[in-house]
Amino acid sequence: MTDLLVIAGREIRERRRDPLLLVLIAFLALASIVSVVVAAAAFRTELDAYTAYVSQLLASGSSTPPAAPRLFPMQLLRGAVEYVEVLGALFAIVVGYGSVAAERRRGTLDLVLSRPIGRFSLGLGKLLGLSAVWGIVVISLAVVETIALATVGGASIGLYELRGIALATVVLWLYLVFWSAVAIGITALARRPSTGLIVAVAVWLVVVLILPQIGDTMDPDNQVPGGLFAALQIQRTDELSVMAHFAGFDGVRNAIEVSSIEKHTERLAFAFLGIKDQYNQQPLSAVWADMWPYALTLVAATALVTVGAALTTTRRTLQRRDS
Amino acid sequence: MTDFAIRTFELSKSYGGRRALDRLDLDVRRGEVFGLLGHNGAGKTTTVSLLTTLLAPTGGDAEIVGRSVARRADVVRRSIGYLPENVRFYDDLTVLENLRFFARLSGLRRPDPRIAEVLELVDFTGHDREKVGTFSKGMRQRVGIAQAILHQPEVLFLDEPTSGLDPVGVRSLRDLIVRLNAELGMTVFMNTHLLSEVTKTCTSIGILRQGRLVHHDTLDATLRRFPGEESLEEIYFRLDAAVAS
Repeated sequence: MTDLLVIAGREIRERRRDPLLLVLIAFLALASIVSVVVAAAAFRTELDAYTAYVSQLLASGSSTPPAAPRLFPMQLLRGAVEYVEVLGALFAIVVGYGSVAAERRRGTLDLVLSRPIGRFSLGLGKLLGLSAVWGIVVISLAVVETIALATVGGASIGLYELRGIALATVVLWLYLVFWSAVAIGITALARRPSTGLIVAVAVWLVVVLILPQIGDTMDPDNQVPGGLFAALQIQRTDELSVMAHFAGFDGVRNAIEVSSIEKHTERLAFAFLGIKDQYNQQPLSAVWADMWPYALTLVAATALVTVGAALTTTRRTLQRRDS
Repeated sequence: MTDFAIRTFELSKSYGGRRALDRLDLDVRRGEVFGLLGHNGAGKTTTVSLLTTLLAPTGGDAEIVGRSVARRADVVRRSIGYLPENVRFYDDLTVLENLRFFARLSGLRRPDPRIAEVLELVDFTGHDREKVGTFSKGMRQRVGIAQAILHQPEVLFLDEPTSGLDPVGVRSLRDLIVRLNAELGMTVFMNTHLLSEVTKTCTSIGILRQGRLVHHDTLDATLRRFPGEESLEEIYFRLDAAVAS
């Protein structure tokens, strides 16, 4: 256990001095702020359009203004979550790869492996260290986003909002740990570290970009900006009855989406933050009733790749360059 | 307690179809300085890698102070110190930080007093706050030996320890090895292809040729066995030629 903590501590110190990681975090923070600013501007535009429309209606003598647009401040965080889902995952891969590759490149591996450390200590220690690093990263991002939300977005941050942000932070932390574990495992397995990076990025491409994109493209509601059903002014109950006629198609579409861990993360984060309208201002128990299968899958997948990373970062695989 | 620090029993290692080490039978007594000689590619580094548990044998076994490298690798690692050829450290860390890291991996909870002790032993006091990245090869080797003896191992493995050092560095390191053996009673197993070093450092030698041990004896006995030869170098080439023919 001590060796695990020693390796984790070394990993944390190494990342702390890693300029690349600092740049990546700064970029994510900046992107999050920009996304809140852009989303807030879009909200204001929508609100101004509504206000102008209502004024015109009132001026023309109408006494029944249309329903106000449903704008929830927490929805300003959609872009920030998506940045972590896509770019954060890529950064987690690069950092996970770098952790193993640097040890090989430096030639320090022999010294470490000649020590009386446990069979899985190197991989698990590195992942433990990176988990701590990702914990600090997602907490820092959450703080930045909360401040941006309160200042730029003008949102009042209460206990409900803070709880949502905290839960989404945990979800995104697990997601980043997942990708670092994938990268560590694949890089350790590959004879050449660079091959490991290429394979890990290929996996990212399929899981984070291609599969969700296929699912999104197949979604009938995504065929027009703002949503097909909304554009046709079809109510939610009618939408469900329409979609009931396409249950098979929608089942396949959903299966493609949920085969990606990115979608599990997104659905969880969007639900906890209330980005999805149906979960906004809902009690946690109601959100959890729908979301627990996704939470279970995310935890199980992260645990699985962690075990995989531990099993692959053994002396045997890491020393294979000698054979 | 066994008299032998190292024993191998038909120890073999193959890479794919190529046999790098072929049924090595070798005994090294406690307190000896053993030199393993051979051309490049003879299997010296493979032997050290097997004995330090960095590689798993494909055949046979070896014992370090009576413990099997194949079955009790974790215990073996507590008994050995290892200096790889071209030892590398975390260049962004100081000597002290590097040594703390390796000491803790070896189970030392409060390593600083021991670090001060070994730095004095390897004549490197005063450099502990310097970053390893700025060091010459000779300085790195000293830090390398310091990390190898931190946990007071019974057997010290040195893979080409003088490789790449200037004459002053070679002499200094040689003196250090002799001193570690004499003062601490540490068994030393070193790989080298520098025959002049062996005569000045080792008490017994082995010669590997294409993965096979072709000679193994004490240095004195080896020199006595070939009275007509002027140096170990001559003996080495004579043995090598005899095996080749």
